[in-house]
Amino acid sequence: MTTLGKYLLLWWKLTENSFLVSLTNRFNAILFFIGKILRFGFFIVFLLALFTRTEFLAHYSVAQVVFFFLTFNFIDTVAYRFRPMVVSGDFDLVLVKPINPLFRALAGGADPLDLFMLIPYIGALIYVATRLGTVSFLSLSLYVLLLINGFLIATGFHILVLALAIMTTEIDHTIMIYRDVTSMGRVPVDIYREPLRSMLTFVIPVGVMMTFPAKAFLGFLSPVAIVVALILGMLFLLLCLRIWRYSLSLYASASS
Amino acid sequence: MKKYLQIIKDTWAEYMMYRLNFVLWRVRMVMQILVVYFLWWAIFSQKQEFFGYTQSMILTYILLSSIVRTLVLGTTTMDIGDVINKGDLSNFLLRPFHFFHYYIARDIGDKLLNFTFAVVEITVLYFFLRPPIFIQTNIVTLLFFLAAIIIGTILYFFFSLIFGFLGFWTPDVWAPRFLSFVIMEFFAGALFPLDILPKPIFFISQLLPFSYFLYFPLKVYLRQLPIEMLLQGFAISIAWIIGLMVCAQVLWQKGLKVYTAEGR
Repeated sequence: MTTLGKYLLLWWKLTENSFLVSLTNRFNAILFFIGKILRFGFFIVFLLALFTRTEFLAHYSVAQVVFFFLTFNFIDTVAYRFRPMVVSGDFDLVLVKPINPLFRALAGGADPLDLFMLIPYIGALIYVATRLGTVSFLSLSLYVLLLINGFLIATGFHILVLALAIMTTEIDHTIMIYRDVTSMGRVPVDIYREPLRSMLTFVIPVGVMMTFPAKAFLGFLSPVAIVVALILGMLFLLLCLRIWRYSLSLYASASS
Repeated sequence: MKKYLQIIKDTWAEYMMYRLNFVLWRVRMVMQILVVYFLWWAIFSQKQEFFGYTQSMILTYILLSSIVRTLVLGTTTMDIGDVINKGDLSNFLLRPFHFFHYYIARDIGDKLLNFTFAVVEITVLYFFLRPPIFIQTNIVTLLFFLAAIIIGTILYFFFSLIFGFLGFWTPDVWAPRFLSFVIMEFFAGALFPLDILPKPIFFISQLLPFSYFLYFPLKVYLRQLPIEMLLQGFAISIAWIIGLMVCAQVLWQKGLKVYTAEGR
């Protein structure tokens, strides 16, 4: 079996296990799912209340803003349960297995409920995208390309959080700080004033991650910006991987 | 009284034991304020007035909400479900104070610590961001504001207590709490003043307890409520306190009867 095949099979098994764990208590799973749907719906209500009275904000229409929000949700659907492994020393068991520990840490705790949430997100994205009237092969290709770039940056951020978890055994708040910062991408970062806008684009690349795919789809992104975004995404991920490797050398195997 | 002061001190000592955890918690709180602040700041770059709010009104609402939040929503009662499920409740039942009083003392410790930090953070943010803010100088309004905060604090204490007591009947206490958080965050008015919502949703929010956690005290501070709305707000929130207090007492009594100290 090829390495890729092995990892795909492993991902499938981990996801299957994750489903089984989540669905052990169906009532809980339903409550969490309702909570996630409500959170999504409430923010849509807020956006509509906000933007229907302004018509345009930073030259974006209501439908476009909703499209940005949907793109944000699509990228943001990741969850974590890594800290207990580090705090209890159980991460030892991952390190001795013949798999990349980073793969196990990143793919091992995906929340199946988040995967379910992708269904309404994708449905709503398709609906809004067709309403925007800008769908073409090029716009769609650029959107997918920059979405992948956004996923790479999001993965980089999560690797950073994992590295910090190993170095400090603290992850609960750092992952939430990451989520708070990226939540600025729920609306297009262009609406923020300078210097915040540039910071969110180049320093903490929330804009590249969340706003650029939708902007490319709408035809608001120059070719130069697209190339810069892709280079930034790759460089950021490589940097995060180096930090991860360094953090592994500091793992203390606490409590094991 | 001395024993409750000791509980407050113990709560502070506990937080200081996990300093990095506490610092990152405060960083989170600052980030949350900044996210909402910058969103509204951006909106007001294109408008002078929005939904009847001026820029200074809305920025005051956002910044002040982070301070009111520490007083009203700061609580240690989140862990009650686990305390029951692990059987640790037995320890409390043997101690010479009421379980409720213990958590009230712990909450006071939590609130004081977080309030102090929030005031410092907001002061620092004020000097960095220099937002136009509205300072309320009317003593009567400030007294009403204080009363609204106290009512919100009591209301949230019992609300959170009830979710903790679910631990008597189920080991899964986090899913209902998560759902309550989602609904509360929206209807408490942490992200925006509730009166920007469509009228039917706003009307419903007035009947729920959540709007009395943040929205109502902040509107009182901004002096944007006519006297009849003010009285109505106090009446509804006090009715909720009575209802939730009775509910918490009943659940506590019934819960103790089914408590088996499982896990000890």
